[in-house]
This record gives sequence, structure tokens and C-alpha cells, in this order.
Amino acid sequence: MPLLNLNGVTKDYQLGKTVVRALRGLDLHIDKGEIVAIMGPSGSGKSTLMHILGCVDTPTAGEASIEGTQIASLNERQLVALRGRKIGFVFQTFNLMQTLSAQQNVELPMIFQGIKKKERARRAKELLAKVGLADRVDHRPNELSGGERQRVAVARALANDPEILLADEPTGNLDSESGGTILELLKKLREEDGKTVIIVTHDPDATAIADRTIRLRDGRVVEEVLDA
Amino acid sequence: MLKDFLMLAARSITHRKMRSWLTVIGVFIGITAVVALISIGLGLDQTIKQQVAGIFGVDTFVLVPKGSFGPQNHAGANTEEYALDLQYLKSIPGVKVAAAVRQRTGFVQGPTKGDGPSTQGFLPVMGLSPELMNEFESFTGKIEVQPGGRLFTEADEDVAILGADTSERLGAKVGDTILVAGDDKKELNLTVVGIMQPDDEGKSSDTNRGFSAGMNPGQGKDTIYVPYDTMNLLWGAGNDVLVTLVRTQPGDDVDEVADRAEKALRARGSEVSSITYSDISDAIGTMTSTVSAFLAGIAGIALLVGGVGVMNTMFTSVLERTKEIGVMKAVGARNSHILTIFLIESGLMGLVGGMVGTLLGLGLSLVASKFIGRFFGVHMAIVASPALILITLAGSFSLGAFAGLWPAWRASKLPVVDALRYE
Repeated sequence: MPLLNLNGVTKDYQLGKTVVRALRGLDLHIDKGEIVAIMGPSGSGKSTLMHILGCVDTPTAGEASIEGTQIASLNERQLVALRGRKIGFVFQTFNLMQTLSAQQNVELPMIFQGIKKKERARRAKELLAKVGLADRVDHRPNELSGGERQRVAVARALANDPEILLADEPTGNLDSESGGTILELLKKLREEDGKTVIIVTHDPDATAIADRTIRLRDGRVVEEVLDA
Repeated sequence: MLKDFLMLAARSITHRKMRSWLTVIGVFIGITAVVALISIGLGLDQTIKQQVAGIFGVDTFVLVPKGSFGPQNHAGANTEEYALDLQYLKSIPGVKVAAAVRQRTGFVQGPTKGDGPSTQGFLPVMGLSPELMNEFESFTGKIEVQPGGRLFTEADEDVAILGADTSERLGAKVGDTILVAGDDKKELNLTVVGIMQPDDEGKSSDTNRGFSAGMNPGQGKDTIYVPYDTMNLLWGAGNDVLVTLVRTQPGDDVDEVADRAEKALRARGSEVSSITYSDISDAIGTMTSTVSAFLAGIAGIALLVGGVGVMNTMFTSVLERTKEIGVMKAVGARNSHILTIFLIESGLMGLVGGMVGTLLGLGLSLVASKFIGRFFGVHMAIVASPALILITLAGSFSLGAFAGLWPAWRASKLPVVDALRYE
């Protein structure tokens, strides 16, 4: 059974009086431990797909499931719980809390899971060391470089040890060197920890680490390339 | 988890220092007003009650004309008189000492001096029970006569004490005889036994403690004082009693005795009302609490404005942090978590406003107390009970949280997708 399974997924948005169809009967299956790159021009439905895969949105029609659980059948509370346990998000603009240190940012998802302070601190430090920021635990985001911020964001995404990492343009705001470091880090996470990594990107370099590249256009999969 | 939410809220407040402080200022102005007004109100209440308690003690009550005390008729005090059988009053169980004051205007003729004519005219004549002069000092202040004179004794009958001015105008000294005429051509020759000390400025605050001017012989400079029973000889039992002071037997309940005396005297036609310390205390309590409630209402408006300020700040904060809320939800925050974080944040601003406001309010009441002490010569207590402070702090946190309820609810209900897309 695929880890993530989308069958004929349609997503409509109401924009004023017009209905915008962002996804039009999309099929997609992602197995555990895969790295999948999702590419496509603006308005192709990348972000919508990302939100459905990340359980922050539900399809208008069709089926979307994680490990066999239909996400449309879950209520808000169950969706939150599923997100908290199974999915880690990495955003293009990092979206770190400016008021918190690197360590506290990494601890944030664990706070919402009710994990004790001592355990949180231990794990946050461990994760920051894993992304190469052991010496930056007490720094605030504005004291870190773009690449370092994104690495903190990756550490935060790993906080609750999720199976799936969803990265939305993770290299979009970074120079090529920092971007390369982040992609390497994502690859390492798959190789060392068996994480499933889904990268929504414009960055051709991202396809280099992906097992598969999926191209979207007008809400449909138009091409699927297996990378060597 | 709550501790972590507290940390998140506090971080957010300190991150937006300027705006947070402006919001806090909005809150503490209201709290300062409330705390100061309550503290001053309670202080005044306590101070006035202490003063009255100092006058009344635990065993004394006053009989005044019916209707001259109480909420219905303040203005009528001392404008009416009543008839009184003082001997009967003294016989009522529980009454230990009773002393009354009655007043008439009478024809008075000074002593004849050699060949010249004596001075004569109409002057106020006041009858005082001898007990009044030495038993009720807390009411009357210290009554003193000039050297060479004396106060009344119980055996006195045909004697008089003159006010300082009267003594001068009549040309009468201690030992002289004056003539006082009552009703029905009753006349008495009275021997002057004392001249009142002129009331100087320095003594005024002391003598002013008297319950009314009628009980305060020091102030009636143009009055002639005679023993209470002498008034009976001149005018008979008249409807002219201003006030009666009664001390109860030790161990008797003053309110019970006062009630009993009032009923018994009314049954015999004396239109009197009794006033005990608890009556005055209740009246003061009603008055001060009414004033306090009115002032607190005004302060409440200031608090309301502060609350609206918190709400405004929180709405701005929610709008600014829409994306942050989206991220928190994406990483596993439930709606209730977001609601709690924002409520704590607005509550904290209320609490800080409450702490600053409490300190300033107590400071303000301290200044008011010093001011009152300096200009009115009264030591005013400052009432700052721990309960008042605790209630104020809890109240200010609740005010903040309540004001933040709507914005926080809106924040918690933000759909994750919309929040994440928000730029």
C-alpha cells in the first residue's frame, strides 16, 4: 500500500462568484522512503496539492489517504493530530518564530504534542546538531543566515519524527550553495532515517536528488520522470 | 504546556514593546482610578467611623427631634425641639446617665451698678444638665470657665454661667446677681457662678467635636447657661429640648436601650429619635458606598476604554501574525492551543496594567491621605487590603483576557490553508 494515495482528486476554490478548479482529477501515489519532486508553472496546482498531501486541506472530490486513512473522513482535531505526528513542513520563507531561539523554534511542534521540557530540549539539540547547527541553538532567526534558518526549519519539521517531510520551495529563497546544502540534508534524511520527502520546487537541482519528478499543468499530472 | 504558552505569549508581548506598553497604559489608567477611588473611599469610611466611634463610645446614644436624622430629612436637624421628661428617661431600665439641653429666649437684666441703669435685653437662655458638663466630654469638648468660676453641680438651682460676651455686655462678674424672666411673669434672681472661657482659634477643632452647636456651650458667647431644672422653674416643662445624651448601664446593649427609650418616650408624647453609633455608622456606610459606587462607575468607563484598547491591539496582532498562526497549526497546534496563547497574551497585558495601576492607585491614595491630613487636620487611613489587591489583579487579568476573547477566537478559527497563504 502506498504511503500517500491520491485518486481522481479535484479541488475547487470559490473566488468571489467564480469557482476556480485548482486540481482536476489528479492521481498520485507516493511510497514510503521516496523522494518526489513536484514541478510546474505558477497556477498549475502545486501548492494545492501540497496542502492536500500535508492534510491542511481536503479534496472537493476524489480520494486522498495516508497509510489507508481517508483524510476527508477526519475531523479538524483528527487532522491536526495526524499532521502533528506524520508530517513535517518546510516552507520557502522558513516561517520561524522571530521571538524564539533556534532551539525553541525546534521545540514548538513538541510543545503542541505535550512533550516534557527536558525531553524537548534534548531532542531539539540533537536535531540542530543533525542539521549542523549545534553551535547556533541560542540564536534567534535574525542572527542566522538564510541557509541556517532553513536548516532550523528542517530541524523543526523533524521535531515529532514524522514519516513525511513536505518542503515547499525549500531552496527558493537561498543562494545556490545554501540551497545545495538543504537538498543534501533532505537526501541524507531519507538515506539515514528513511523519511519520505516531497519537494515542491522550481529548482532543477532538486530533481537531481529526487527518485521521481512529477510535472503538473492546469491541475493535472502531465509528466512523470523517474530519475536515476 | 500552559507554562510554555505563557512563555510564547510573553515573548510576543515583549517583541512588540511599544504597542504593548501603549496598551498597558490604556489599562492602568483605569485600574489606577479604580484602586485609588476604592482605597480612598474605604479610608474615608473607616476614618469617619473611627471619629464617630471616638465620640459615641460603645455605651452612648443621642435623642434628637424625630425625623431630623436619617435619609428622609437631613436638612431639618436641630431646627425642631421636643418635649422631654428627663426624670422618666433616667428611670428607663438600662439608662445610667441622661443629660439634656433646652433653649429659650428670655428677658435678662444685668446687675445694678451703683447709680447707673443696669443692662437688659432678650438673650438666649440654655438649660444644661450638670452631667452634660462633665460626663460627655467627647460630645461637648472640654467645657471650661474662667479662673474664679465653677461649673454647675447637681444641687445648683438659682445660678447661671455666662458666655464671655454676655458677661461683658451685662457687666456681670462671678458673684453678681442677674435677673432672668420666664413665662407668666416668673422671674428668678440667679447668681453668676462662672464665665465661659472665650473660644479661641486654637481650641476650635476640639470644641467643634460637639454633636451640634446647641451642645457646645463654648461657642455660644452671647448665651446664658442655667441648670436644666432651673429652666423648669422659669418656663415649665416645654417643647424646647434640642438634644439629649444618654449613657447606658455597663453590659447593656446600647441599641436595645436606645430603642426602648425611644418607644417609651414616644408613648409619652416626646417626638424623639434615638441615634446610636451603629445608626451613624450605617448612614456613613450608605453614603460612602453610594459615592464610591458612583466614582467606581466613572472609573469603570476608563477601564472599558482600556479593554477596548486591548481588543484593538489583539486584533492587530492576530492580523499581523496570521501566517504565524498558520505555521503553528501546520506544526500541530490545535484551535484550543491558539485560543489559549492569545488569551494569555491579552490577559498578561491586562495583568501588567493591573500591577502598575495598583501601585499608582495606592500611591495616589497615599497622596490624597497626606493632602487630607494637611488641609483638614484628619489622619486618613489608607485601606489596601491584600484582598483588594488580589481582586484587582485577578480582575485586570480577566479584563485583558475578556477583551482578547473575540480576537483570540478569530485567530483560533483561521483556516490553516488561508493562514499559510496570507502575505
